[in-house]
Amino acid sequence: MSERLRNILTVALLLVLATVLIALVATNPTAADRVESIGERIKCPVCQGESIANSPSQMARDMMALVEERVDDGAGDDEIIDELLFSYSGAVLLDPPARGPTLVLWIAPVAALVLGAGVIFWWRGHPGGGPGTDDVPVRSRARRLAPLLVLGGAFAVIVVVAGFFLQEREGPASGVANLAGQDLTEVSNETMEAVIAANVDHPQVDGMRLALAERYYETGDFRSAFPHYLAVAESPNAADPEAVTALIRLGWMAWEGNGEAGTALDLLDEALAIDSGSDTARYLKAQVLWCGAGDAAGAAELLQAVLGDPELADDSRELIQSDLDAIRSGDSCR
Amino acid sequence: MLSLLGSTGMVVALVGAGLLVARGVGTARSGRATNLAGAARLLVSGAVAAMAALVVALLTDDFSLVYTANHHSSLTPFPFDVATAWAALEGSIVLWGLVLAGYTWFVFRRYRRSPDSLGAAALAVMGGVALFFFGLMVTVANPFEVCVEAMEAGCAASSPWPFATVDTPGNGPGPNPLLQNHFMMAIHPPVLYLGYVGMTVPFAYAIGALALGVPGPEWLRRSHRSTLVAWSFLTAGILLGGWWAYEVLSWGGYWAWDPVENASLMPWLVATAFLHSGIVQQRRGMLQAWNFILVISTFSLTILGTFLTRSGTINSVHSFTQSAIGPALLGFLMLTLVGSFVLFSTRADLVASSPRMGSFVSREGTFLINNLLLSVYAFIVLIGTTYPLVLEAFTGTQVGVGEPFFNRLAVPLSFMLLLVMGFGPVTPWGTTGPELVWRRVRNPAVVGLAAGVLVALAVSRNGWVVLSITLGVFVLATLAGLLVEQVGRRTAKTGETVVDATRQVVTGDGAFWGGQLSHAGVVLIAIGIAFAANLGTHAQVEMRPGESTTFEGYTLTYESPFQQTPPGKTVVGARLTVTRGDRTVGIVEPSWNFFGAQSGVGTPDVLHRPGGDLYFTLDDLPEDAGDPVSISLDTSPMIWVLWLGGLVTVLGGFLAMRARRTERRVAEERPTVDV
Repeated sequence: MSERLRNILTVALLLVLATVLIALVATNPTAADRVESIGERIKCPVCQGESIANSPSQMARDMMALVEERVDDGAGDDEIIDELLFSYSGAVLLDPPARGPTLVLWIAPVAALVLGAGVIFWWRGHPGGGPGTDDVPVRSRARRLAPLLVLGGAFAVIVVVAGFFLQEREGPASGVANLAGQDLTEVSNETMEAVIAANVDHPQVDGMRLALAERYYETGDFRSAFPHYLAVAESPNAADPEAVTALIRLGWMAWEGNGEAGTALDLLDEALAIDSGSDTARYLKAQVLWCGAGDAAGAAELLQAVLGDPELADDSRELIQSDLDAIRSGDSCR
Repeated sequence: MLSLLGSTGMVVALVGAGLLVARGVGTARSGRATNLAGAARLLVSGAVAAMAALVVALLTDDFSLVYTANHHSSLTPFPFDVATAWAALEGSIVLWGLVLAGYTWFVFRRYRRSPDSLGAAALAVMGGVALFFFGLMVTVANPFEVCVEAMEAGCAASSPWPFATVDTPGNGPGPNPLLQNHFMMAIHPPVLYLGYVGMTVPFAYAIGALALGVPGPEWLRRSHRSTLVAWSFLTAGILLGGWWAYEVLSWGGYWAWDPVENASLMPWLVATAFLHSGIVQQRRGMLQAWNFILVISTFSLTILGTFLTRSGTINSVHSFTQSAIGPALLGFLMLTLVGSFVLFSTRADLVASSPRMGSFVSREGTFLINNLLLSVYAFIVLIGTTYPLVLEAFTGTQVGVGEPFFNRLAVPLSFMLLLVMGFGPVTPWGTTGPELVWRRVRNPAVVGLAAGVLVALAVSRNGWVVLSITLGVFVLATLAGLLVEQVGRRTAKTGETVVDATRQVVTGDGAFWGGQLSHAGVVLIAIGIAFAANLGTHAQVEMRPGESTTFEGYTLTYESPFQQTPPGKTVVGARLTVTRGDRTVGIVEPSWNFFGAQSGVGTPDVLHRPGGDLYFTLDDLPEDAGDPVSISLDTSPMIWVLWLGGLVTVLGGFLAMRARRTERRVAEERPTVDV
């Protein structure tokens, strides 16, 4: 076989193999594990330089569970990471973003590579020295160093430009205090979640929880609202009206969402134990008794009691009256 | 008594170092050979006495020394009692001093054989470095202070004066639990120090050569062997550190881009670049200035690494409580950098002269690319490690730079280095056409790609795994091809058998083939990492006693919790039987170890299997015998290839060094002819 033919065949073989290889790798069916890859980007707050994906500590495992949950919810990578960083003080992104103070980390290596290659090409292309260079006059030596200085200067400029991005600081507001002066209606659900998670033991957190839970509740997102109502109901710090509201919502969600009449009645009774005059609690309890427990008489009694509240709004009064009429006429619940 | 011995030792060593500087400088200046033996002997005997005093104090439970009282316990078993000699700050400086004295002795022996200015200047620099470290020992990190106010376990107040009235505590708290959990701890620090400190030798020769104004290859020739020794030990030390992390640290990993690991990787990368570029200067006279820069950087990075790990700047198992050692090391680093580069710039006219390269298609061309890649690699590690510290120090902003950052930049660079590694050895020196290189790489390229396709079909289609195999096999095939080519030429010429010819070829150029063995080792390391990092699986299970679960084809049965009390510690853990099919393949006991009153250390258990390790970590301790335990399970496929690769790499380094020595002996017997 001639050398030429052999070369052609080899190149052809290399191309075929490379194509097959690229095709095989490109169609690799196993997608990267998102939970794992997100976990690897976050430093475990109680560890030394380990990511939460690698650390066996309880906190890291809790955080990984949270990541998994949010991935299942369909949240995006950045969204999940922001939430975690917000919620856990000491958790840092191990993967510095290419903006702000860490931009320089990404620019500098590339700049160094380009600069290094530049120096090599300059050095090579430059008229050679050789053993006699000792006699080269100083001025020409200086001229030879000039391109090096230019390149060094260029590098410095790149670093300085990158340094300007240092100004763009991000300081996540992670305390209740940071939100205290703000109108909560302007704060996103995500931010509130994060602030709450970061301040679970803060005495003022229950108000925020309740506000957030109400938002979820109003949009029908019982699943998101539930843990917050539960936390407020169980919180020793919660003010009575807050606890009552939470218990009422929990009770109603238990009935409306899960059809659990017994649980709902227990929760509503708990609310009434704190505030026996709550119209909402009494009204809802009546609904559950009527529709869920088949106790029409009990329901009628409660509704009658609510109607006795002089402060009841007119439209509510009408609604309750119509319910009461329906019960009395023996209608089944609506 | 031991305090007196140790204190005397360090003062004697300090005096020896001072004398070495004074007389070394004198000799180098006058050019007249003088006897430096006295100074060298003082340095070495003082360093040996200091280490001996410390070890004897630990072996005999002499708690009158503060060091023993605070870092040792009479329950600490062998070899951890000896290893305690370097498990804390002051002791680690003693070890540094001892290793430095050892290297100084080797430089001195060479000087004694053929005394000249360069040797004397190098000894003066070694003496200067020793002066700093023994100075540290005498001032801010004195391991021979005596205890003057004892506590129940440990010492409350101390005196540097050996004759002070001693109040001896009954016992001590023992060393850091993490450091007494594995016998590796006795070996890893000395090995790493042999690497770190050894980099002083080429640095000393370089500074000596600069000061004397002789930038030619002589300083490289003299220091090359030491550089190889130091490089081999540094390689071994880094890998032992990785192995220790894997076996002891309970997270299944061997490398986490932790600042402490980075601190050892940076000098390794630059030293590796220097090993290659040094050859270019010796063979072609090029890169004079670059070699000075590299060797100064390597030495500075070892000091920076020591500063980072020892000063408490980074919180880790290596850092000790805040002490004056941080500023001292930082000051020494600044002095080294400023001093070296000022000296360098005053000699720039001498250094800048060197021939230019003809073509990139040449050995020197590939070495240049290798140097660029390794330098950028080291720069990435440097900036990733120090930038968060600097940023926090100046602005208070906390940023994290961890695995994802390093992996994203270092992994592509590593593969580029592998590619260059395939071309370098088959490319001849000087100007050649690309035809010869093409002839040598075309078959290996086919073999490498074919291996990649095979692995993709049979094992995994993960891109990194396939790439590591493709490039790795390509490199190995180029080496095999080169060997076959040279052996074939020799058998044709001499008519020897293939075995004899192979032996002749390999021993005939031992330095080259030692280097190629190291290349093969690096290939194995890359493959091992690619497999373990990409194909590992993880699971977490909860089991009650008697329950079983399956993981990666193995059946794991949680038998029972257990508790043992070997000397010095209490081990609490879970015992599991691992079966595959009907066959029991092992019993594993992931556990927690408790040392005295100190908090427990999770200790994984690893079942080593040919296809890869099964790694067991006990997440929680069961409170009652019947409680479920939570166990993390990991696989590390093919991780033994990584350890094997490490061994091969280190072996290659030592082989190259041996070959150099033989070459030199032969060369010294003949009148030298400069090539």
